[in-house]
Amino acid sequence: MGTVMPIAPSRRLLRPPRTEGSPGALSSHLSKAITIKGDLESDGELHINGIVHGQICADRLVIGPGGYLEGDVIARDVHIEGRMEGRIFALNVTLDSSAEVNGRIFHNTITVAKGARIDARMPWRPPSYFETLETLPEARQ
Amino acid sequence: MSMFNRNDKETDVSAPDKPRDVTSASVAAMPKPVQPVAASAPAPDLSSAKSAGPSVISKALKITGQLESTEDIRIDGEVEGDIHGVSVTVGHGAKVKGSVYGQTVELAGTIEGKIEAKKVILTSTAHMSGDVIHQDIRIESGAYIDGHCRPGTNKTDYKPAVKPN
Repeated sequence: MGTVMPIAPSRRLLRPPRTEGSPGALSSHLSKAITIKGDLESDGELHINGIVHGQICADRLVIGPGGYLEGDVIARDVHIEGRMEGRIFALNVTLDSSAEVNGRIFHNTITVAKGARIDARMPWRPPSYFETLETLPEARQ
Repeated sequence: MSMFNRNDKETDVSAPDKPRDVTSASVAAMPKPVQPVAASAPAPDLSSAKSAGPSVISKALKITGQLESTEDIRIDGEVEGDIHGVSVTVGHGAKVKGSVYGQTVELAGTIEGKIEAKKVILTSTAHMSGDVIHQDIRIESGAYIDGHCRPGTNKTDYKPAVKPN
């Protein structure tokens, strides 16, 4: 009776795929004038042109030119045109020619444009790895 | 971006020259007319178009932490933390737990915390729990307010967030 430990509800980091609703209503834009220190969680799209320090969970993340992220990202799609320092956990990763990435890129498919500056390991993972991700692995130096 | 796009235009060029059998099966098998491939047209670049505009926190986004902006912010989602902006709009259905500082603060959603601004507008759907420090306030009929409303002295003057770099 009392011996059964209550199982903490498992909480998957990857947001469930978007089903209904217009994508425009769920899309957030952070302009270049904004700085956020903290964690962001979105079921929709997130465009960053400003500065974010913290962890991001989103369906789709776009770091625009001039955008900067320091922290980890868990998303279905990640598109980077700006700078980022930290780890990416995403099924589809696109690094544009203006991208500058430092860290690790856990991906299932990745596209890197000519000219992108990347200083990162890029481990491949099956889709199930991202779907079942509940806690991020420890960051290794 | 164009480098990522495959050039699909050439794929079906030979199709119209094929001899046409008039059986329904072959008609069904006919390749569909090549549409102007979306990939060949430059996709509308929302990110750069919006980079200068106001920041929009959509209803799908939840932020835990501090926001600082030297421009306008519109919040339709959820924020736990302080917000510093010039013109801050908290939309209907939005929720903020923390202090909101700005030149102008317009509230149609919920704030649990404090508003400190030169001009404060509480619309009819506003739900404000906490103090409002203002120089100029408008409260529409229907707004809920639980807290002190007091005129600020000069010290409540808007302090712009320091822009890094």
